[in-house]
Amino acid sequence: MYGRRSSSSTGLFLTLCAAMLLLAMVSEQAWAAGARGAAKSVFAPLEAAMTQLAGNVDRVTSVFGDVSALRAENQRLKAADEALRRQVVELNAAAKENATLREALDFERSFGHHMVAAQVVGRGPDGFSRTLEVDRGTADGVQPGMVVTTAAGLVGRVTEAGPHGAIVQTLADPQSRVNVFLSQSALQGTVTGGPTALQFEIEHSLGITAASGEWALTSGVGGGYPRGLVVGELASVTRRDSSTSDEALLAWVNDPASLSLVLVITDFVPS
Amino acid sequence: MKRLGSAVLLLAIVLVQVTWAPRMTVAGAFPNLALVAVIAITWTGGVRSGLAWACIAGLMLDLTAAGPLGPHAVALLAGAYLTGFWNRNFDRESLLQPVIAAALSTALYSLVLVAADDTLGLPVPPIGVAVQLMVAASVYNALVMPFGLALLRSQAPTPREAA
Repeated sequence: MYGRRSSSSTGLFLTLCAAMLLLAMVSEQAWAAGARGAAKSVFAPLEAAMTQLAGNVDRVTSVFGDVSALRAENQRLKAADEALRRQVVELNAAAKENATLREALDFERSFGHHMVAAQVVGRGPDGFSRTLEVDRGTADGVQPGMVVTTAAGLVGRVTEAGPHGAIVQTLADPQSRVNVFLSQSALQGTVTGGPTALQFEIEHSLGITAASGEWALTSGVGGGYPRGLVVGELASVTRRDSSTSDEALLAWVNDPASLSLVLVITDFVPS
Repeated sequence: MKRLGSAVLLLAIVLVQVTWAPRMTVAGAFPNLALVAVIAITWTGGVRSGLAWACIAGLMLDLTAAGPLGPHAVALLAGAYLTGFWNRNFDRESLLQPVIAAALSTALYSLVLVAADDTLGLPVPPIGVAVQLMVAASVYNALVMPFGLALLRSQAPTPREAA
């Protein structure tokens, strides 16, 4: 009796696994991308409602606790600090605005690209894929491959887009790669995602060394991202004399846990 | 009617996972509430029930993640199956056993998820990063497990009510 029950659950397990793998193979096909995007868009309004609820709960709980108030204050100060640093790096300081939307509009004007503002409504379900879900999709001109940013700097790239929602692979995603250069030493390298900090591989150049505190900006090499977007600040460098590159950690200008509004660059087409 | 209620509750858990849980990131990992719920269901309701809910929760997670539909469902199915095996062979009433089952199921879930992505030709994280995330998530989910189990048991009808 016990053995029969065990083998029947094994049969059910194998059947369901086979069905799900078949579904994965079918939904991965290019012709199914539209249906897949539409199905994923269904969740976007629910996630938006939950995100709004989370915000409201945060506001309510902050009334009861100094810790919450201090955390909110810390976030506000961190955001202000990021914006100020960007002004120094890009040497085109504009008046700092408190409202996020106003800040986004200023950034769009100074950056010179056409952008669509999108609300972050959800995040990837596990640590293996650091993604964001936003509430703008193909109906708003958002397409896969488009670059996503904030007023502080680069966020990532759209990987999938449905009619009213899109999924963005952030720089923190372990599979993400972006070519950058350093603001002072002009050394170049590649930044990849990591679980706690961005990993930066700096190519050696004769007589030049990178120093902590330098800013990393997109180099435009490879055509994946426009040149000049701020990625992060060099936190630490590990020199490797026997190699052709040094290892470094980069402090990302965006905190993925607190991102609430992003900008999708709609007129830059990656080559 | 009860199943519809359970499905709505599972949907709420998935939504909480993709909106609130990432705020609680430690060492790159955050609690996988859907996996914890599936393990708790399997532990209390049996492996067949756990597999069914794993499939539903997995598809919900796939709808919030990048890539095709199915990998998260397969990974949750593996986690539920391992929990069922653990439940059949070890003390069901022990508090430690579901915690161990949660840690092991999370590790298997992570391995299956990475393997499924790799099989489907999707990009996968470097092995060192994947192991680090897997260990952190296993510890995290194991710590959350007693609360999930207590919550589920408090909602389940007592034997007298069921009779």
